[in-house]
Amino acid sequence: MANQSGSVYGLTILSPICYDKTAETSHNCAIRMKLAAMPRDEFSPFAKVSSTHLARLVVMDDVVYVGAPSCEEHLKSQYLIFETNFDGDLDTYLSRMAREIPEEVDAVWQHCWGYPGVKNVDAFIAYMKKCQVTTTFFFADVNNKTVQQTLIALQTQAAVAEFVEHAQGLSPSELQKSFASFLVKLRGAPPPVPGRPGAGGPPRIETKMKWASKNLAASMAGGAQ
Amino acid sequence: MQGGYVCLAFVSLRTDNGGSSGRGTEQAVTNINHKTYAMNAITPMKWWKTWIVRVFFVILGTIKPLQKDLVQLSFIHFARWVIIKRRSFPHVVPGQPKEELKYDYLLFFSNFNGTWNQYIDAFSAVLSRGLNAIWRWSEKFPGSVPVTPFKQYIAHCQFDTDYYYTAYPYATTNDVKAAHRVQAALEVLEKDSAGQSAEDFARSYLKFVLTVQSDLGETGKAPVGT
Amino acid sequence: MSKLDATDIQGFVLRGYGLPFARYMFLEIADVQRGRRFIGSLLGQITTGEHWDAGKPEWTLNIAFTHKGLVNLNLPDASLLTFPVEFIQGMKARGEILGDTGRNGPERWDAVWKDGRVDVWVAVNSKNKETLEERCADLIRLTSETGGAKLLGSQDAGAFLIDGQWSPKEHFGYTDGFGNPDFLGVKRNTQPGQGKLLSDGSWAPLATGELLLGYADEAGELPVAPVPHLLAINGSFMVYRKLHQNVATFRRYLEEKGTLYAGGKEKLAAKLIGRWRDGTPVELSPDAPDQQVVKDKQRNVNFTFGNDLNGARCPVGAHIRRTNPRDAFGFNGQLINRRRITRRGLPYGPYVPESEPARDDGEHGIIFMALNASLFRQFEFVQQQWVEYGNDARLGNDKDMLMGNHEGHDRYTIQGSEDPRNPPFVCGDLPNFVELRGGDYFFLPSMTALRMIVAGTVDPR
Repeated sequence: MANQSGSVYGLTILSPICYDKTAETSHNCAIRMKLAAMPRDEFSPFAKVSSTHLARLVVMDDVVYVGAPSCEEHLKSQYLIFETNFDGDLDTYLSRMAREIPEEVDAVWQHCWGYPGVKNVDAFIAYMKKCQVTTTFFFADVNNKTVQQTLIALQTQAAVAEFVEHAQGLSPSELQKSFASFLVKLRGAPPPVPGRPGAGGPPRIETKMKWASKNLAASMAGGAQ
Repeated sequence: MQGGYVCLAFVSLRTDNGGSSGRGTEQAVTNINHKTYAMNAITPMKWWKTWIVRVFFVILGTIKPLQKDLVQLSFIHFARWVIIKRRSFPHVVPGQPKEELKYDYLLFFSNFNGTWNQYIDAFSAVLSRGLNAIWRWSEKFPGSVPVTPFKQYIAHCQFDTDYYYTAYPYATTNDVKAAHRVQAALEVLEKDSAGQSAEDFARSYLKFVLTVQSDLGETGKAPVGT
Repeated sequence: MSKLDATDIQGFVLRGYGLPFARYMFLEIADVQRGRRFIGSLLGQITTGEHWDAGKPEWTLNIAFTHKGLVNLNLPDASLLTFPVEFIQGMKARGEILGDTGRNGPERWDAVWKDGRVDVWVAVNSKNKETLEERCADLIRLTSETGGAKLLGSQDAGAFLIDGQWSPKEHFGYTDGFGNPDFLGVKRNTQPGQGKLLSDGSWAPLATGELLLGYADEAGELPVAPVPHLLAINGSFMVYRKLHQNVATFRRYLEEKGTLYAGGKEKLAAKLIGRWRDGTPVELSPDAPDQQVVKDKQRNVNFTFGNDLNGARCPVGAHIRRTNPRDAFGFNGQLINRRRITRRGLPYGPYVPESEPARDDGEHGIIFMALNASLFRQFEFVQQQWVEYGNDARLGNDKDMLMGNHEGHDRYTIQGSEDPRNPPFVCGDLPNFVELRGGDYFFLPSMTALRMIVAGTVDPR
């Protein structure tokens, strides 16, 4: 199915934006202003709809004129493009948007033709599907892992790299013991947060200058021997 | 002629320095969220050429080995092409004006890692045939080789992202794949090492390290203008 | 392709002179007329790429300009504005891209670079100290006679004299100078492995336009160049970087990690760079240095990483693998061909043998100079993406072990194998072994362009 690759769904929605020549701020500008203020990290609304891998919102003002001999033409409306890559099925995702981030959805989509609001989830889903365009070809580099699995893997990777570095030179029994407690700590680590810059794992073990002598630290500070 | 050179310089300054001179916060531009760049491009196609692109994509989708170069380049998290026929722009309510267009449009959305120039350089260098197969049906496409007119065309057809979110901003697709390999290897180690003696565990552990030893790069901030 | 007119190209671009003494002088133009007169007085002495029938000359002289220098020589605006953006901005302004922050930041640079007043770089290389002093004194005399330029500072550099012989070693003990690329049309003693990799496994010279402006590059285009054509053709861009080396820190780090690494200290040193300290490439001889390989020009740069993708022989993040990945990224090395740079450089400061204690502070390091047709696409790319970052090598944010701006945090992973003498090993808490003390971007014009600049006849049309 063109919109799907493995377990990832590629949703493309073009919502026509209202045009009201009496408005003080045009609708497309209002959307842009809203988007400019929207947080993009773990406080993003899409972090709340946590099955979202990557998502973007784009105000497309017009089609492009590539120059003669092509014809110049223009769109009658601007379109709000919503391109998102998420786990699971479309209906679940859209209903999560309606239920978990209703204010943000309203704030952006209220400027679009025919937007019914999010109070009636079915109507919202029907509206979004009306604006959906089929993806002709969808490429997903990793298409069989959920967001949560990915975040956990990244957390694991960082923790393993730490462990491998600091477990060097341990005797087999020390290693085995260390590994056992490492696993316990890793499993008990707080679940990683989508959208947050960082591996989301336990903080780097501060072993500053563990191997080196004091002199190394002194020379790092620019001092002589 | 001089204008052309200045335009070129402008393009590369605009994109790789993220529109600023590189100073300021790394989140200053909206096309980029840490390590990933959200590119949008639209190109017009004469309506009777659209089916050719569709056929090409069907072939690409069914014959998986054709995708292997794309996978090997390993720059892209997700990418999609969307053909919008001239009469198929969403029309939601009667009050909305209906579009009257001569051309079909090919939309392209990419979520990629690396700088804008690096991305296009790489594709032009090793995937030019595939790029041409997709875009030669778009009006005034200059071909993906040589690279400079190709970059000018893309810069012209590209439009900016207003809002971009990624669940793993510090990770490129390489980082993600490496992380999954490490996760899988750790689970194998955990399973295999249950009840082992210390010596046997040391051997299993070495095998584990040898499996993950190239996948332990740190994740973190992106280089400026990435 | 058309034949190169080597006499029009400055010799420094086409060859490493291999002369043991060097002084780089940094000048500021006093005013246009006198500045032109000063440079004009040098024209006859500038070393070109002409063939040396009688062997190496006693001394060589070359000249290059920052963008500010060209502004001060009153090149027409259209020419000035059509130089590549990164050259116009200068290296200091590109600091965030290059990782020249923190310990590499301009606040810690030598005054001559911090002040940003350098217009001209003049390089004198020579066979002996006396000749060097004579030539440089002559040059200084010319600056005052013409009143055309002011000396802002100078930098001496030179090869180490070890056991009575000129040595290619640098301060960390590595043998330097391998692997400069071959270019079409540039006469040189070619060695297999220097050029670009072809699909049949053989090597071919890179396109001329990867080094010289005005010629087709590897993408089949002319590199970005100023107008007019005559100003640009046969010219090249150079990055000059004074890299201080923390020798004591390096030796101590190597010593401490060397006792923990099963392969021993010398093997560890080899795994950091990708060559044993005597120059043997690790890829060809992973277990021991081998002078046979070093001395064999058919072999000492002739290797690929295609059979070592997991890094068990040459670690994935080793310095020479990062800066010239060859076929490590697949596609027969095609992604690499537009990222090659030509290095010229010499150590500066007194050599301290391993048996004597070394210091971190003091004036010692390496003067790193690289030539390319496009600073942005070649040097800056390698520096930003392959030295201070690791995503292309699938190493995430990991930096080059030796050159990286670590600030004490990073780690370097040596991939290993089941062989107990070749274990996987992680070097953590990396300090900055190398620190930037300044530098800039320069343009080395052709002889024709130099004459036009001196005569004030640059016409951008």
